[in-house]
Order: sequence, then structure tokens, then C-alpha cells
Amino acid sequence: MNQPAAGQAAAEPSVKLQGLPPAVRQEPEAAPPVPGPPPAPWPVPEFGALYEEHSRLIYYLTLRFLADPQKAEDATHDVFLKAFRRLDQFRGEASVRTWLYRIAINHCQNLRQSWHNRHVQTSADDELWDSAAAGTDSPLQALETKELGQRIQTALDALPDEYRLLLLLIADEELSYDEVAALLDQSTDAVRGKLHRARKAFAAQFAKTA
Amino acid sequence: MKQQTKLTEKQAPLVEQKAEAQTVREFASTEELFRTDAAQTTVPPEIGERLKKSAAELRPPPARPWWKNLLGR
Repeated sequence: MNQPAAGQAAAEPSVKLQGLPPAVRQEPEAAPPVPGPPPAPWPVPEFGALYEEHSRLIYYLTLRFLADPQKAEDATHDVFLKAFRRLDQFRGEASVRTWLYRIAINHCQNLRQSWHNRHVQTSADDELWDSAAAGTDSPLQALETKELGQRIQTALDALPDEYRLLLLLIADEELSYDEVAALLDQSTDAVRGKLHRARKAFAAQFAKTA
Repeated sequence: MKQQTKLTEKQAPLVEQKAEAQTVREFASTEELFRTDAAQTTVPPEIGERLKKSAAELRPPPARPWWKNLLGR
């Protein structure tokens, strides 16, 4: 990209202002920054803390699973609202994290169920994906920019829901294989097997987005 | 002047290549890729504000004091 010369950059505003009435040319006086209204308090402070701690992981899961920022916003809101309604039902048998994941997965799967007819590939045909992903052991390379998110989304969109969810959950370092298996109602061995295929399938799709 | 323009045109792709080389990253695993993506993702603040309102609407109203029921006020 050609960098403009220093002289050119300095002259640019005056060129743009030529021919405009004097009133328009005057720089508006810098108004003191007006502080916005203070954020509303949480009706239950403990719930606010829960949201602050876990909102990113739930938003990220819904964003990449549903592939739509607006739907992800709505889903994250609905998931936490459900959690708020059921706070008294949380018995502490699982961690809050897995409890929220459970609500989020159920919510997203219900949403996806209604779009079922629009999606041709709805379940993981392991053999199909195994052969499709053959020969893709090269490392994943990407720019650490917004492009990364777009490429990930494109690659995920090509995968069945089951693989998509599995990859997103496994990426959470705080979840064990057993917890992921429980969240997906599968055995740990099944999760390990599917994960291998899911990684290969994702790598193949990700390479196509380069 | 002409020579200067030529130099600028030659230098520009080099600058781009250099900038690109600095940001291309190799990810060891899909998990690492997702973690980086998740770390770059910001939660829209609107969700929290909406949630506060929704949660406040869900809260049961404070119970009417017994003495108000008794007095019928």
C-alpha cells in the first residue's frame, strides 16, 4: 500500500473544505465528554457475578454453533435467563460451568431442530467425514485477526452439529473428557473416537478457507 | 521525483509482507485455534443490559406486609 507523503496528508483537509461556507469550515468546539448513565445494577448481585464470569464462554459457544451474532445474543440472554429462573434448582452436583453449558446446549439444539429441514447434513456420518478429511495433517495457519473468526466459522458451518459442538466443548480447558461426554450424552470412548474425526474434518474444511 | 515514486511502489509490498509475516501464526491444534478465537471474541454489552431488565421483571414483587392486609390499606 502506498503511504501518502507527509505533505499530502497535511494538505488533504483543506482540499476537502474548499467551496464550503465558512460556518461549515469551522471546527466544532470540543464538547466535554458527557458521561453515560451508570450501568443498571443486577437484581441479584451473585447472578451478576455468575454472568460476568461465564458470559464469554456461553456467547462464544452460541456464536460459533448458531453461526449468527444476533441469534447468539438472543441465545446467550435466554440461557442466562433460564439459569436465573432455575438458580434455586442448582444443586451443586455439577460445576456451574457445566450446568450453564447444559442449558446452552439444550437451547441451541432446540433452535437448530427448528431449522432441521434447511440443513442437508444434520448428523455425523463418521465414515464420510473420515474419508473427506484424509491427508490433512498439515498445521493450521491463520492470521490472528478478524479473519480468523470468519475462517473458523466457515469451516464449522460445513461440519455436522455433533462435530461442531464437540470441538467447541473440547476447546474449553476446564472441561474434562468425562464432562464433555456427559454433556453430549455419550461415553468417553465415543467422544475420543469422534473427536479424532472431528479434528480431521475441521482441519480439512479450515484449509479450504485459506 | 520519478525515482522516488518507483522506490515507494517497490517498498510497499515489502512492508505488507513484513506485516503479514508478523501476524501469521501456526496453531498446534484445533483447540488452540478455538481458544485464540474465543479470546478475541467480545460479548456485546447489550446482552447484560437486556438480561438485567429481564431478570428484574422476573423477580417476585416484595410481599405485602401483614399489617397492611390486616388494616386493609
